[in-house]
Amino acid sequence: MRRAILNLVLIILAFTIQNSVFPLIPFLAATPNLLLILTFSFAFMGGQRAGMLYGLLAGVLLDLFYSGPFGFYTLFYVCAGYLNGICTEYFYEDFITLPLVLCVVNELAYNFYIYVFRFLIRGRIRFLYYFRELMVPEIIFTVVATLFLYRLLLFLNRKLKAFESGRDTTLV
Amino acid sequence: MNSKYNRYILIGLTICCLALMAVTSFTDQWLAPLRTAVGYLVIPIQSGINRIGVALYDEVEDYTMLKNALAENDALRAQIAEMTEENNRLTAEVFELARLRELYDLDQEYMQYEKTAARVIANDSGDWFRVFRVDKGSADGIREGCNVLAGGGLIGIVTDVGAHYATVRSIIDDSSRVSGMALQSGDTCIVGGDLTLYKEGRLTITNIQKDADVKDGDRIVTSDISSTYLPGILIGYATGITLDNNQLTSSGYLVPAAEFRNLREVLIITEMKEDEVSEVE
Repeated sequence: MRRAILNLVLIILAFTIQNSVFPLIPFLAATPNLLLILTFSFAFMGGQRAGMLYGLLAGVLLDLFYSGPFGFYTLFYVCAGYLNGICTEYFYEDFITLPLVLCVVNELAYNFYIYVFRFLIRGRIRFLYYFRELMVPEIIFTVVATLFLYRLLLFLNRKLKAFESGRDTTLV
Repeated sequence: MNSKYNRYILIGLTICCLALMAVTSFTDQWLAPLRTAVGYLVIPIQSGINRIGVALYDEVEDYTMLKNALAENDALRAQIAEMTEENNRLTAEVFELARLRELYDLDQEYMQYEKTAARVIANDSGDWFRVFRVDKGSADGIREGCNVLAGGGLIGIVTDVGAHYATVRSIIDDSSRVSGMALQSGDTCIVGGDLTLYKEGRLTITNIQKDADVKDGDRIVTSDISSTYLPGILIGYATGITLDNNQLTSSGYLVPAAEFRNLREVLIITEMKEDEVSEVE
């Protein structure tokens, strides 16, 4: 229960910061995709089911607020949750390389998804331009954000687990 | 067993999404109550966080500005001398301008529309779309299709409304198309957003008839024949007009009149083109 509430709060907070605060910061050339970080981190830590649930929440939130066919984002986020959940086997706490690799792969997939279905479909074929000007900056900023955010999520995850199992020791 | 179950969930959700996408491509009216309900939860948070963000940002900016101001002060003193001289010259030109303006008879019409001011509270997540959200909605008389202005120029159009928020697609969004016309000749054209031109601060103008009289620097306003935009709203100025390869139409670029960076407040025209049309009928 506590976990569910915390997750919901995290998602809404991430969504809000991403949309309302980041655009105000002048030196951010691109907006880090916090929702994507949350989705793949939780999928990575909690498995496929958690990943899909998270993806569903994040996607629905995006779909509700932005026009276009409803379900466009949800579809991507749910699939991302599922696929990242596969990597949960390799999850152990101090392993930061895999999350970073996952982050890059997810960002590439996400941007590619938008490019193909919202731009290429309308005959915008200058892929390299979009890649250079939009995708690369976003990937860089998201990777940097992952470095910080992932640690925070790990910390929260650990606390929650400790709380749930009624033990005060950290899980190894 | 468990992973098989997960796969079924994934397939189920995927089908749901695809079905929803198919349905909402045609109509998304039935989503409005759901959107409004979630809006009640999220909009206050967004509004609040935005306010904090703006406050913090202003604070930091104030400090940097103070440092800059001192340096700037010296530079400005030098400039004042220069400008005094320039001012003399310009004063002469003002009289000329006043006279020309009268001749030009700038359309006063678009100032007469009923407007309401709104604050920008959120941008689109990511840089692919130029869409933003404002803190006024259907409760303030805003409807889907309302025109949005700022800084004397057209900003965009409302694409989506909740009780206390509205989503605006700006004219610099890649998928935006506005029917425009050159103010002085009345020749029509299409003003389109283009993500690859966004950084240069330009839009495209296309479909100008071959012998139409549109020159660089001409004012482009929303056209009388547009079905969604009210007529006579300034969009921007034409530049780089050249004849297309097909020898039938010309195209070029448009420098928008409104400033899109750091957009904080906008004006939304609550009147709509539809109303005008039905009144005439």
